[in-house]
Amino acid sequence: MQILQQWTEANAFLIWLRESSSIWAYPTVFFLHTIGLVFTAGASVIINMRLLGAAQELPIAPLARFFRSIWIGVWLTAISGVVMLASDLETKLGNRLFLYKMTLVVLAVVLTVVMRRRIEASSVTASTRALAALSLLCWLGAVAAGKFMAYF
Amino acid sequence: MNAWWIVPAWKTLHYVAIAVLVGVVGLVDLRIFGVAKGLPLRPLQRLMPWAVMAFVVAALSGYALLRINPANSFGPPVNVAFAAKILFLVLIGLNDILYFATGLKRQVDGVGAGERTSASAKIVAGVSLALWAGVLYWSRMLTFLAGAI
Repeated sequence: MQILQQWTEANAFLIWLRESSSIWAYPTVFFLHTIGLVFTAGASVIINMRLLGAAQELPIAPLARFFRSIWIGVWLTAISGVVMLASDLETKLGNRLFLYKMTLVVLAVVLTVVMRRRIEASSVTASTRALAALSLLCWLGAVAAGKFMAYF
Repeated sequence: MNAWWIVPAWKTLHYVAIAVLVGVVGLVDLRIFGVAKGLPLRPLQRLMPWAVMAFVVAALSGYALLRINPANSFGPPVNVAFAAKILFLVLIGLNDILYFATGLKRQVDGVGAGERTSASAKIVAGVSLALWAGVLYWSRMLTFLAGAI
């Protein structure tokens, strides 16, 4: 852990990211994180709401084809997130809300994986709806934790 | 009004509304591009009122945030990112007016499961995606460009 921290503090790219006032440094990585997250969360929310009974005319099975785009969003968010985390390891890991946020995001992504097969099979059972509701709460909680993080 | 949690609470609402908005716009535009072709477009475009509602929530919460910290956007000097964001939102409005007024929206409604959309629909969808990415970009730059010329 300490070695990791020393490495992140000595890495030239991370130093640049942390200290440069250029908008091509930290702000750009932050933008990639935002666009990935907004699309991932937004698309997931729409699909979850469909599973919960909204927009009934919309067929469910073809929605599974959106998962590839959603995964691109997940990876974009994850990679930019890891880069920002590495540039500020100590503050972030010391923030309890950051850990809540990560737990909720990981849970939301796991739920997405679990639900994919059910969506492909158009099998919307009571348990699918429960998972969809849980996923909605995870995304809401993750966004709230992210926004409140700066205040702790 | 000055409780510490007011600003992050408005920001959470703002962000959630934007996620729903971008979710609807993203899925409709991607389908127009040919992703998830198994979906007929009419029921997908029926989600547009959700996007409108989400936009209203985002605009109101955005206005509240603006009132709480006007200097961040209005300066002086005026924040370039804020001006660009408003400009992009106006362009999105024009693109949407074009989409409805030219009958393109109705044409796309007729695109069923497995069918392709027209080239003009793809252009409007591409412009929409690029402009929304731009709005997110300028929003993200808002705090970093405050006070810059």
